[in-house]
Amino acid sequence: MNDTILEVKDLSFRYRGAKRKAFQHISFDVRKGEFFCIVGANGSGKSTLCNALVGLIPFYFEGRMKGDVFINGKNTKESSIAELSSEIGLVFQNPFNQLSYTAGTVEEELAYGLGNKGIPREEMKKRVAKVAKMMRIDHIINKNPLELSGGQVQRVAFGSTFIMEPEILVLDECTTQLDPLGSEEIFDIVKDLNKNGITVIMVDHDMERVARCANRILVLEDGNQVAIDTPEKIFGNPDMVAHQIDVPDYVSICQELKNRGLFKGEVEVEEEPTIQAVKEALKV
Amino acid sequence: MKIELKELRHVYPTGEEALKGISTVIEGTEPVAIIGQNGAGKTTLVKHFNGILRPSSGDVLLNGESIKTRSTAQWSKLVGYVFQNPDDQLFLDSVKREMEFGPRQVGMPEDKIAQRLKVISELCGLQDKLDMHPFDLTSTEKKFCTVASVVMMDPEVVIFDEPTCGQDVRGNERLSKIVQSLKDAGKLCITISHDMKFVVNNFERAIVLYKGKILLDGKMKDVFAQPDELSKTFVSPPPITRVAIGAELGETAFTIPEFMKAFDAKRGAAKHE
Repeated sequence: MNDTILEVKDLSFRYRGAKRKAFQHISFDVRKGEFFCIVGANGSGKSTLCNALVGLIPFYFEGRMKGDVFINGKNTKESSIAELSSEIGLVFQNPFNQLSYTAGTVEEELAYGLGNKGIPREEMKKRVAKVAKMMRIDHIINKNPLELSGGQVQRVAFGSTFIMEPEILVLDECTTQLDPLGSEEIFDIVKDLNKNGITVIMVDHDMERVARCANRILVLEDGNQVAIDTPEKIFGNPDMVAHQIDVPDYVSICQELKNRGLFKGEVEVEEEPTIQAVKEALKV
Repeated sequence: MKIELKELRHVYPTGEEALKGISTVIEGTEPVAIIGQNGAGKTTLVKHFNGILRPSSGDVLLNGESIKTRSTAQWSKLVGYVFQNPDDQLFLDSVKREMEFGPRQVGMPEDKIAQRLKVISELCGLQDKLDMHPFDLTSTEKKFCTVASVVMMDPEVVIFDEPTCGQDVRGNERLSKIVQSLKDAGKLCITISHDMKFVVNNFERAIVLYKGKILLDGKMKDVFAQPDELSKTFVSPPPITRVAIGAELGETAFTIPEFMKAFDAKRGAAKHE
């Protein structure tokens, strides 16, 4: 397929010294501009898979990797992390793991990756200002990253990834330090980026949010690929509960209406269509 | 257990007035959830319940005694606090030592420690991980390790700060079980949470804070029947409740059975018209 931007082929990985594989025989592709979500219980291999998508596996984490990841047709094994960073960027689950710990200010932290790539100074300044404004951290640009709140560090971590202008953004539960309002702000930015053609791969526990954003969902359980499909198909499948997937309540409401013969077709996965379905069912 | 808040005010050294006069009584074993947007004063409030923070004016009475009369270490026998970030709390080299540390500090008899260790490690899903280093645990297990070490102290009050943060389906189920079993044991659970689904399914009373004051305080159903007031502090009811409101079912539903009951009632009424 022409529009495939990322391809995973029979990928398995075991961390050095670990008793079992973090994940095994994972195969999927992500299309350019797609909003792709990865879900599963804690320990199902989601974060490790993210590390493999961006090349931290095999370059940074030690272990045994089998299979391949292709980004724009190029095998990650044959690239370097620096080359990959302008194509694919990862926002870590723990933002403190993402800080360089060499930058004295937020401004330097944001510019860190650009400096490594030899971007000219003027261009660097422009990009830093743009990203700082976008992430609403322009007022703390001269602060030391280590003096910030968890939510602020998360914004800096996000900014330092996005500033590289990657074609694919990988988000690994990237809003755990933020309150609902802060998370929504970040997700609005992500949705905007996606609308403008950036491919997004997101790991998240909030199934309501996943249902709202995703074009397709990959379900992992104990390192195995259980299913890959649209939100309606994934959440509409009664077996998903057995795979520890928390089905959005909108789906459960539609299922109940179905059981009473008051609803037909694919389940709804968002609030407004569910309200409409309930209103319709009241009239039947 | 009785916690009385009397015109509690707290002003930080920066001059920021985080609590602007809070008065209410928390009593018995009815689990209480404290909700509201970031900066509403939730964490500042609960840090007064064991004296981590001291009132700038007003008072907090624990079973009638002012919080000001004892140190936090002394209150910790009565009020346990589970931090949001496990790394702020864990510091020993095995789960077992972590769990035994607090009770030993307060002189709990060894046989009672051993007996509680067994029950609580099972409740928290750590029975097979007692010899592990806390830093080798997954983030979920770490959280339960902090819960376990607080519950080990056998306090009358357990305070949870954002317990569901980063938890998966099983972690949430386990938290519900822990809250229920603490209640059954006659303990008072207080939680700060942004997770409204967790709150409405496990807690009976909600105290909603807005800019350092109490906005709403009452039974969960009564509080969530006021979505417009809640939106002031950026609290949005859980999905089932929102759909029930949107479809004008006329009931504050928290569960699917409650929702369908309200649905059937409304549909039946419409048929009779």
